[in-house]
Parts: sequence; C-alpha cells; structure tokens
Amino acid sequence: MHSKFYLSLLLISALVLFAFIAIATYNELAPEWKRYQTEYKDLLIKNATDEATRERAEKIEIGMQQIYLRDLKKADRCTSCHQGVENPLMTDAEIPFKKHSADYLENHPVAEFGCTVCHYGQGRAMNIKEAHGEEHAHWDFPIIPTKYIQSTCAQCHDFEMLKQEGGENVAKGEALFREKGCMGCHKLNGVGGDLGKTLDGLGSKARAYFPMKYVVGDRTIYNWIRQHFDDPRKIVSESEMRSFLTEEEADFLTTYVLTFRSEQMPRNYTLIKNIVIPKTDGESLYKMYCVACHAEGKYSVYDEIFKRTIPAIMNPAFLRTIDDSHIKKIVKEGRTGTHMTAWKVDAAGLTDEEINKIINYITMNRPEEKPEPFGFSGFKNDPKHGEELYKVRCALCHGEDGKGGERLLGINLRSKDDDPEFVALTVREGREGTPMVPFGKKGVGLEDQDIVDIVAYVRTLSLSQREWTSEKKRGEEKDGRM
Amino acid sequence: MGGCRKRYKIIVLILNILILSLVFVPLTHAEEDIHETDIELGKKVYNIRCEICHGSKGDGKGLVGVIRRVEKSGREQVIYPWDLTQGVFRFRTTPSGCLPDEEDLLGIISNGIPISLMPSHKHIPLKERNAIIKYMKTFSDRWEEEEEEEEFCQPITVKKPEWVGSPFSVIKGETLYKKMKCWECHGHEGKGDGPKAKDLKDDWGRIMPPFDFTSGELKRGSSPESIYITFTTGLDGTGMPSYEDALKEEDRWYLVSYTLKLMKKIK
Repeated sequence: MHSKFYLSLLLISALVLFAFIAIATYNELAPEWKRYQTEYKDLLIKNATDEATRERAEKIEIGMQQIYLRDLKKADRCTSCHQGVENPLMTDAEIPFKKHSADYLENHPVAEFGCTVCHYGQGRAMNIKEAHGEEHAHWDFPIIPTKYIQSTCAQCHDFEMLKQEGGENVAKGEALFREKGCMGCHKLNGVGGDLGKTLDGLGSKARAYFPMKYVVGDRTIYNWIRQHFDDPRKIVSESEMRSFLTEEEADFLTTYVLTFRSEQMPRNYTLIKNIVIPKTDGESLYKMYCVACHAEGKYSVYDEIFKRTIPAIMNPAFLRTIDDSHIKKIVKEGRTGTHMTAWKVDAAGLTDEEINKIINYITMNRPEEKPEPFGFSGFKNDPKHGEELYKVRCALCHGEDGKGGERLLGINLRSKDDDPEFVALTVREGREGTPMVPFGKKGVGLEDQDIVDIVAYVRTLSLSQREWTSEKKRGEEKDGRM
Repeated sequence: MGGCRKRYKIIVLILNILILSLVFVPLTHAEEDIHETDIELGKKVYNIRCEICHGSKGDGKGLVGVIRRVEKSGREQVIYPWDLTQGVFRFRTTPSGCLPDEEDLLGIISNGIPISLMPSHKHIPLKERNAIIKYMKTFSDRWEEEEEEEEFCQPITVKKPEWVGSPFSVIKGETLYKKMKCWECHGHEGKGDGPKAKDLKDDWGRIMPPFDFTSGELKRGSSPESIYITFTTGLDGTGMPSYEDALKEEDRWYLVSYTLKLMKKIK
C-alpha cells in the first residue's frame, strides 16, 4: 500500500520536472523574436503580388539581427523584432512590423544610425521587457515616450534647424527655458543662479540621481522631470522652485531639459546648419536671469515659496532714488541673507557687459526728476534714539533684527552696500507700489533728524562694531575739515 | 511742655492728611475718566501701529494701500486692509450679522492674521491692546447702537464631538461638500478654483478669491473648533455665508472633518 503511494508520488514529480524542462527548452528554442520573424515572413509571403517577391520572401532566413555602430559604440538588435521599419509595404501593418512613421529614416538609415540613439532603450536585449526597459527593468534610459522624443534630435542638430524641420517641440522648449527664467536659479554651462541644482548633463544622469519616491507611474527620469514641473514640492518636498506652466509648456520644457547631455556625439553624426546665438538684449537677459523671481518688477510681493518679500526693482520710486552704480553693486555681489544671487563673472557667470544691459533695461523707465537730496552726512546721528523709533515704526514689517523674512512685509535691511544717504531718502520718500510708505513729512510725519537716527541704527545692525566706529570717525573728520 | 506736644501732634496730623490727600487725588481723578484716557491711549497706539495700513479714520485706506502676496500655486492675491468703519467683521464667535465680542478682537490683534500679513501684537502690553479696541469702537456707530442686542449676539458654544476627523465623518463631509455646493467656489480639491471662484467679491465690490485649502493655515487658525466657528458664524463681508440655519450642528462637524482632510491635516 505504502510503496504504491510513494511510487505514484515519484512518478508525478518526475512528470512535473519533465514538463518544466520541456517548457524551458521550448522557450529557449522559440523566443518571442523568432515568433515575430516567422509571422513577418508569413506576412510577406501572404502580401506578395508576384512570384519573384514571394520567392524572395520564402528565402528569408530566420535569425538574430544586429546593427553594430562603431562610432556610437552601440549594437542594436531592435530589428530582430521590428523587421519592417524600412519596408514601404508595411505602412499599415501592426506593431512591431509597422514601417517607421514619417520620413525620418530617409535621412537616418537604420544601418547607419541604429535605433537606440534616438529612441533609447536597451539595444542588446532580446526580449521586449528588457529592450524597452520600461517598468521595473532597471534600465536608466527606457524607451522614450513620443512626446519627449524630439529631445534626442538636439544631440546632433541645432535648434534653428529643428524649428523648421520636424523638431518644433524641443525648439519651443528651448525658447520657454529662456523666457521663464530657469537660469535665474539653475546653472547651465557655468552660467546661472545658485538657488537650484546645476542642470548640466541632467538628461544623461542615472535614475539613482533622482529622488523617485513620490513619482506617480513609471519611475523614469522623463516622468520625474515632467511631474516636477507640475508640482515641484510634491516630488521634492523642500523645493523652492516656482513652476507655473500649462500642460503643453511642461511637455515642451521636459523635452528640452532632456537635451542636456554630458557626452558628445561623434563629429560625423552631427549636422549643425546654422548657429544662432540667442538674443542678448537687455529684455531677453532680464527674462533669462531675473524674471522668475522679480516678475514685472512693478510691485513688491510677499512670496509664499521663498517665505519673504521680493522687492520691486522696476518700480519708479525705487529707480528715482537709486543710481546705476549701486544697482550694479547689488547685482554683482548679490544680497546676503536673501535669495539674491551674486551675478558677477566668477559667481553666477554674467559678464559686466551683460549686467550693464540688464541694468539699462531695468532703468529704462526711470523718472526724470530726482528727489531732493537728504544730506545724511550733514546730520549728527544718535543710533540709541534710532533704536527706540525702529522698534515702534519699522520692526512690525522689517522684523526686530532687520532681516525681514517669514510673514514680514519688509525686506532685509542688513546690507553693507547700502549707502545711508540712499536709505534715508527711501525712508523719507517711501516707495509707491510697495508697502514702504513715505515716513517723512509727506507721509507719516517723522522729522529728518528721526530718520537719520533710524538709518544710523539700521547701519549699526549691518556693520560690525569696528566698521561702524571707523565709519563714524571718518564722518566726523570730514565734518571737521569742512 | 504739654502745649508743645499738642502742637507737634497737630502738625503731624496735618502733614498726614496732606500726604494722604496727595496720594488719593490722582487715584480718584483716574477713576473718574478712565474711559477717556483709555481711548486716548488707544488712539496713540493705533496711530503708531495700525494707522499705516488701516488709515487714520479706520477706513482701510492707510498709506500702505494694498499688499500683494503670491501663493505657492502662483496665484497672486491682493490684500486690502480691513475697513473698520463699517462695523462688519469676519472673525467673530458671535452669530452672523452681529458685532464681535472683545475677546474676538483681542485675539486678532494679539495673534495677527499671518496669511494676510497682519502682524502679531503679542509683545505690546495687554492694556494697550485693549485700548486699541476701545478706540477702534469709535470708528463705527454700530458699536453704540447695538449695545442692547446682547442677548442674541452671545458667542456660540463650541463642543467638539469625539468623532471629528474619523474616516466616516470625512466621507459624510465629502457628500455634504458636494451637496452644499462648496466646490462651486472652493473647487473639488479645495484649491479655491471652483467655477464661481473668479467672480467672487466682498461686500465692497473688490475681488476676493475663496481660500485655497492647500495653501497653508487658515486666517483664523486651523483648529477644528475655529473651522466650526467659521461654518456657524460665516465670514461677514465676504462670500462665505453662515451655515447655522442650513446645516445641523452634526453636519457642520462633518464638514470640518472634510476640510481638515482637504488641508491634509488628516489622512
């Protein structure tokens, strides 16, 4: 009884093992590409109109296809399944036999270019999951979705040519990149602000570089970039990026951002028809580097992302009181304690010429009349009295420490570069279009002496004790000489 | 000897009376017009701290004018300092249409309204804050006229049920959010982008977009109790009505749960 039971058990397990071996052998002998090739062959025979074509079709041998590209260091086996990519008879066939859409292959024959140079994916793989690299195939560059595919054109072509010849999306993305002021925070080729990450080589970075935790759907870099445009703080919670794009714009920009690649194409592949240097007039430069934060610059706004007030830099009241050399100093050196980047050549990478152009653009609408000079140095100042006044009059907006910041309407006042004369003038005259009201006789009604004291106190906040005493001494010496 | 002593006693008595009267005179004087000095003090503090935005007459037309604020979603909001002369206030614990009680006003002055950039005044003495309220009440006649209506305008009682925030109450709240058409202004996801959001104006005809629940803390604070108070009393002067008559107390608490969910305070 027992022996019979064990015997049957042995028989069943032997059968199961045999079945497994059989399935494995079958899978190895007839992989999916072989099935596709047989199907393709049948299709050709079936569609043949004359004897000669039929004979030719029947002679096709089934076997792995590979295109080896020495210069590109690529070996693409995609044509093992996608056999009809160059066959005009296959225009209406089903994928994978379908002919390549449009006429891209006329100038890019498969034998010379392969497939993965444009489409990405894993060229050497021999099954669909690994070759396309989608889902959880652990391939850094899975096959690129059609809406972003134009990003790969920019490896060899210039944007001017792409704009006219089938690369509109990526060209639009390039224009958007400049208009939306991405480089106000991100560096590209060594030029740009320092608030965001450097973008060089972003399109060819490994998946592991991107924090994928909150990406919805496939965890690819394409999805990361796209969803990051939709809501930066959903993907990177501490992000300070501002991205207010339409769906379409986000697609274009994603396409463009993917063109930032670290490796260069071999020279015999590139085709640059016309090198167009981007416009470098004041307005374009302002858009590239300033517009993301300062917008139109007419009003100062409290910004929920930066958690501070962004000053109005094209406000007539501001332009009236400030001179070009002072603006230049601010632009070049930045403002410590705020989000303002230092834009000089060895920091954010703008040349003096470019900075001058931007300043000319900002000050374009400077009002003719100058305010009556304040004559700060003509007064004796008393920072102690200034402190009392500051606590009552200024601290509500600028904060007790004069740094501005969260939930405060005022900007950071601690800056060594600010000339006391300019600050005093601003306090007296105020700035229309911002919450800074005139504190002089025209408005709140402070005496000039009070303003001097307040400014002196603010000056003591931003200067160290030693700097303040030496400045004071210099002032007194000057008075003495006079 | 005896006469000298008597004289000495009289002098001491007179001196005592003099000193005592000197002490008492200012005290009695202060008691007489404490009201007057309070308003004067209030005016002084108001002129230094509040006038710059709310205007010397309290009409919200101070030197500052308007304040601009950009939310994380990129929506720009124009904030107008509140007009105190109308006697209409948003943040009350009293029923819709009533004047706020002093505690409501003191709360706003002390804590400020962070999202509207009204600063907090916790650091100034309580006496001065109370004095500001006294002075503020001179801006509108409503304060004197409606002093008798006290019985109707008692602050509402808030008693939070234990189940607020439970999954069941959130679902209940969601159906009510749809049924009561909250989404017409506040949007389906509470982002303040409903179909009617753009046309929303306050009582003075200025554009006042509905609150975006994903943008941060509510003006009055985001505790369940304060959200409940908003549903019950409404925000007078804005598009937000009171739901005291339209919804049962229970239902209002359900909506509180759903609001907390929209604000991502609960999962």
